[in-house]
Amino acid sequence: MPPLPPGGSETVLGSDVTFKGEVIYESAMRIEGKFDGKITSKGRLAIGKGAHVSGEVSVGNVSIEGGFKGNVVSSEKVELANTAQMQGDIRAPKLVVAEGATLVGNVVISPDALKGQGAAEREQILSGQSPQVRR
Amino acid sequence: MSKTPARRTLLCPRCDTPMEASVSAKSMPCPGCHRNIRSEDETVTDYQARVEYYNEGRVEVAKKGIIIAEVRVRALVVKGEVKGPVRARQSVHLEKTGKLTGDVSTPLLAVQEGAVLVGRVDAGPRRADARPAEAPLDATPRAR
Repeated sequence: MPPLPPGGSETVLGSDVTFKGEVIYESAMRIEGKFDGKITSKGRLAIGKGAHVSGEVSVGNVSIEGGFKGNVVSSEKVELANTAQMQGDIRAPKLVVAEGATLVGNVVISPDALKGQGAAEREQILSGQSPQVRR
Repeated sequence: MSKTPARRTLLCPRCDTPMEASVSAKSMPCPGCHRNIRSEDETVTDYQARVEYYNEGRVEVAKKGIIIAEVRVRALVVKGEVKGPVRARQSVHLEKTGKLTGDVSTPLLAVQEGAVLVGRVDAGPRRADARPAEAPLDATPRAR
């Protein structure tokens, strides 16, 4: 994960938190609890080891160590740790998968991964709004 | 005293019939479907377009190597390019220069940053059609 930008702060959803809904943030967020909904940001997202996240995610960077069910669109990089349990589709220019991670879903990883979505949708992603992921 | 040759258990990539073979065996006929099974570790350095690319050994696709086929192997390392569905009984390693276009099924997947991967991925424990009774693929000494 890249370091936080100067002046950036990290929002943490603790392990005893269950959240349902939509989150939009600027710089960084870490989820240690349960999340069900939509996450939109051009910053970074970290899903901790004990976390369970389901829904749609459109972010800059995402690092997954826990459970994730849903679709991910990343404008930079997706990282799956060896403890990650990912079920869903990934669209990103870069993917790193550690040995031992579970990944089930359709994957489009290439420098042109977001081009197929059309210029308007790409702009939405980069500007922090979340378009629907095509299947 | 003669040495006992090390043995290993293989599964036919076509019909999944288990068989015992010497660790040094490069190929053998399947007792189930009677087709030849290659089990020799290979490095692909050139362009190979086939209907199927089956090998119960470890296959490495070098930076300049290209495989276009249905791939069924024990372990696959991709530094070059693979186009086609991939089923690996043990692992798939996609290195930073690697490109894989096709569906992937394997119990162990590792992807380095910079690799290109497009397709459906089914990776994790008990994937790649691993059967519960599947014997370990490592060399085991044969008891007489």
